[in-house]
Amino acid sequence: MALAEQITAEFPSAQVTESSYGETLVKVAPEDYKKFCRYVKEGLGFSYPSDLTGTDRTDCLEVVLHLFKMEPNGPRLTVKVQVDRQNPKVESVTDLWPGVDWHERETMDMFGIDFEGHPDLRRILLPENWQGGHPLLKDFEDKRPERPRLVRGDR
Amino acid sequence: MALTQEREITVNMGPQHPSTHGVLRMIVKLDGETVVEAKPDIGYLHRCFEKLAEQKTYPQVITFTDRTDYLSAMTNEWAFVLGIEKLLGIEVPERAEYIRVIVAELQRIASHLIWFGTFSLDLGAATPFIYAFREREVIYDLFESISGGRLLYNYFRIGGLRNDFPPGWKEKVLEFLEYLEKKALPEYHKLFTGNRIVEVRTQGVGVLKPEVAIAYGASGPVLRGSGVDWDLRRDVPYGYYHKFDWQVITEKAGDVFARYLVRMREVEQSIKIVRQALQGMPDGEFLGKVPKVLKPPKDSEFYVRHEGSRGEVGVYLISDGTPNPYRCHWRSPAFVHLQLVEPMAIGWKIADLVAILGSIDIVLGEVDR
Repeated sequence: MALAEQITAEFPSAQVTESSYGETLVKVAPEDYKKFCRYVKEGLGFSYPSDLTGTDRTDCLEVVLHLFKMEPNGPRLTVKVQVDRQNPKVESVTDLWPGVDWHERETMDMFGIDFEGHPDLRRILLPENWQGGHPLLKDFEDKRPERPRLVRGDR
Repeated sequence: MALTQEREITVNMGPQHPSTHGVLRMIVKLDGETVVEAKPDIGYLHRCFEKLAEQKTYPQVITFTDRTDYLSAMTNEWAFVLGIEKLLGIEVPERAEYIRVIVAELQRIASHLIWFGTFSLDLGAATPFIYAFREREVIYDLFESISGGRLLYNYFRIGGLRNDFPPGWKEKVLEFLEYLEKKALPEYHKLFTGNRIVEVRTQGVGVLKPEVAIAYGASGPVLRGSGVDWDLRRDVPYGYYHKFDWQVITEKAGDVFARYLVRMREVEQSIKIVRQALQGMPDGEFLGKVPKVLKPPKDSEFYVRHEGSRGEVGVYLISDGTPNPYRCHWRSPAFVHLQLVEPMAIGWKIADLVAILGSIDIVLGEVDR
């Protein structure tokens, strides 16, 4: 059975699309996200967490998870979950794939998404005392004072 | 004097430390000399590459990709370019595909050589460092003569390459490969591989089990050093790698020494690939037909998986139909591997922590982006 059919059979509410580039894109509701990830890992055998990141869709935020199997030319699965922009919250999947730990921290750092149940959710790339917001949001404003440009000869 | 003392002490390693290969801080908790906890603190080289990329056109971003992992710029450029070619359906001329393989494999050799040098320096051996840099220098000279740059090349173009080889380049490469294979590599093995001190300091140290490596998303030599037969060049093919006869190198032990051996033997495989590519290279164009303004279809997205020198480089591109990427995410192997330092180092001495940190081959420019 094709991957898309398997997923719709198990999760009828999930929106499954096949991209023209050979990827299976699955959009799940935030409340199904953790359950879906568990099914994908334990039921379908997607053992390799390649990447987790976010996207700002301006009306909502999206968490994107790229999963693969350790088999040559295996299926390419992209899991997406859209969360509210005002109160972005989603369950952490670190207990399923420990490798997404830092990816989730980075997504929190860059988009402000709260991963509930993450063991150590702190800023990772920006300093811990950073007050300037989340830089990868589309409406991010750099509030740092402008530096005067030094030109040789200016005294 | 107080008679009672806390048993564990916290030691700060870095941000500037010779063994951290850039600006990395490790907060290490020690019991005597034994590591109890090792938390990397990163972000010192953060430039927000992903935000910058959103403000530039696709060809302009190529120069930034050089600067993520500056020791493996060619493979990074390739990873990024692959994504746009996929989104736009651009065909790359055959000759360009061959040259891409050649420069990427030379870059892999250069990167592994630097790793060999700095890793031996971490262990306290200064001689291999000088030897490795001597050979790397030749590769950088070769790259300089085709691209003009020594470290950051901006050589790849969407749909091909910026220019062809200069005359005489092929012979120089073949001469260098001959020298590397017959003289330099045996010299390294004599210096390092059978060395008793190296063996004691690396064998059995920092063992990474294959199932742990997969669950953490490890890739490249770190994964293959744990005995997992996995290489994106073969298993998720791109470029012309399927045309050449080469092997995926694995070592079963999963320790620091295994990761060392995998890299050294990969250099041999890369030599093999470059030779075949130089031999089979056809004449022809080096740049395909590409539109002046690149606008991938609206809402199209693709995730590239590319075998860089350090492991899986992932590029996630989303287009909104404009000449600028809507989102460009860079998944770097070293970022993922740095998470593995703590599980590997717990229970080992602080000197072993340095060896383990060295063995995963981090480049902080790539970790922080």
